[in-house]
Amino acid sequence: MSVPSPAHPRLALGSRVLAAVVGGYALASVFSIWLSYLLPAELPEAVLGATLFSFAVYTAAVIWVFAAASAARAWLGLLLPGAAMGLMAAALQLGGAAA
Amino acid sequence: MKQTLRQSMSWLHTWGGLWFTWILFAIFLTGTLGVFDDPISHWMREQGKIGEIAPSTVDQRSRAVELGQRHLAAVSPRADFWSIALPGDENPNLRVFWRADEDAPFKQAQLDPLTGAELQPGASRETEGGHHFVHMHFEFHAGMAGIWIVGAATMAMLVALVSGIIVHKKIFTDFFTFRPGKGQRSWLDGHNALGVLTLPFLFVISYTGLTIFWATYMPAGVLARYDGSEEAFFARLSEEPAPRPLQHIDAPMPELAPLMRRGEAAIGREASFVVVEHAGDRSAAVRVFGRFDPDAENNRLVGRGSGSALYDAITLETLDVQLPNTVRGGSVLQTQRTMNALHFVRFGGYPMKWLYFICGMAASAMLATGAILFMVKRRKKSANEFGAATARVYRGIEVLNVAAIAGLILACAAYFWINRLLPLDVAERGTREIVLFFAVWLASLAHAALRPSLAAWREQLAACALLCLGLPLLNLATTGDWLVAALARGDGETAGVELSAIGFGLIFLAMLRQLRRRAPTLTVDRPETAKTAAIDAIGGR
Repeated sequence: MSVPSPAHPRLALGSRVLAAVVGGYALASVFSIWLSYLLPAELPEAVLGATLFSFAVYTAAVIWVFAAASAARAWLGLLLPGAAMGLMAAALQLGGAAA
Repeated sequence: MKQTLRQSMSWLHTWGGLWFTWILFAIFLTGTLGVFDDPISHWMREQGKIGEIAPSTVDQRSRAVELGQRHLAAVSPRADFWSIALPGDENPNLRVFWRADEDAPFKQAQLDPLTGAELQPGASRETEGGHHFVHMHFEFHAGMAGIWIVGAATMAMLVALVSGIIVHKKIFTDFFTFRPGKGQRSWLDGHNALGVLTLPFLFVISYTGLTIFWATYMPAGVLARYDGSEEAFFARLSEEPAPRPLQHIDAPMPELAPLMRRGEAAIGREASFVVVEHAGDRSAAVRVFGRFDPDAENNRLVGRGSGSALYDAITLETLDVQLPNTVRGGSVLQTQRTMNALHFVRFGGYPMKWLYFICGMAASAMLATGAILFMVKRRKKSANEFGAATARVYRGIEVLNVAAIAGLILACAAYFWINRLLPLDVAERGTREIVLFFAVWLASLAHAALRPSLAAWREQLAACALLCLGLPLLNLATTGDWLVAALARGDGETAGVELSAIGFGLIFLAMLRQLRRRAPTLTVDRPETAKTAAIDAIGGR
């Protein structure tokens, strides 16, 4: 078991597994919503297209979580893009509703 | 301590791979067998003996639909779903399926297509046939829970592929490297070569496996953008009429036979299924499906489909007609459907099926070598990952390796024997066969837990070889049909199943010989070392 190296290796490993499984899934979900606003296709097709890509994002997220130098950085690397895409999607939704 | 990327990916590949490898081996092996689900069903239902079924006339089909409707109206006049499957190559009987309401289980009956009399158990060899392997492959016969387990394992597969590539930097040179008879090194070479050889296949098959169930696995987009109205979403996506809500007002059902004839005329094909949604309700609709035509479907990834016509069951007005081999829905939907067709190998005919079969077997072997490699490495020198419990955990992994690899192969081979040996007249025969399949698998786990690991490998492999090589003889003894007779009448499906069984039997014999040949060269006075070295030799060429 060589990935976790900090003071509480078990806790750090558990944190990474949680980040990979749950955090990665949440990031892929937010990504699919965000991309569905941007794809140049009719609404149902844009949702399908964005969802087809989301499995690659989930895979990349898991790889990132275990490649990151620490569990905290792993989480940060998921939360920042997730929050950015979530905010953008919310803005696009509000903008679309206002228009 | 700073980790390099390759070190952390190696850790992820080893441990992420290990915990999912047993499930993944089951998914890949049963999926590979499922490529040939139709020939397997053909063998299991003894259809080689029935021979070619003469094409039916429109009057015969009308009569069959009348008989099917009479049966359904008697057993379940108000139903969420009725389906009448007309006799065809895959089954010479008339079959009816129904479901009382959305939560009720599907029920079915087989009828004589001339009289409508229900066929009693024992009239034919009732079996799920090759569908058993397909259902194992995507849901382990566990419904939604199984679909999620398979989805999680497939995600782990994608992660293992990516991390494996990062770890394995010398992909090209190592592909030509195989150092046989060197224990651990040979296992690693084999694992690498098989993985690299099938890499494009592995990515395609894993990714397209996930996207078949895209809306189940990743529903966020649909939920966020459609406020939870999935029916509206799918109707718009596929450009088909949305299902009509139940009205809870009784309504008599029309004669279905004339609608079947209208449907056949509208789509220009013989009908294969007549389906009623919401039978007995004012919202009822009748759908007539065209018969699958392999010649029209081969070499076609886009615009597949045998055609269907949809009618309002009360007013008899036409709601929708989809002609065979026409495209409906946009380019993204076609992309998703093409990915499905790639996964189901619905193109290229038999040569492509064989290519998938070989790649699938290579992928299964890659997973098996990975699991065995994990233990081969640690038998030499314990990595002590689990402190005081390490030895017990290793033993558990060893037992699971035997049961998940040799044990599953044994259960699959036994499934063919069960099909021939289980009496014809037992109730729920198809289900019973599958229960016995799981019983054999469970027994292999118990056997692996009770025997030393080398003996467990050897004995289970020997049993696999015996069952595979004996299959043609079993068929001859129980049905009078076998390989030679099948070849003589040009029945490639029956002959293909038995020839493949013999091929697999020979492979298992070669593995056993390998085990025995290497074992005696080991010193006898150090039994522990001898055992370890012999286990290292399993499959090592």
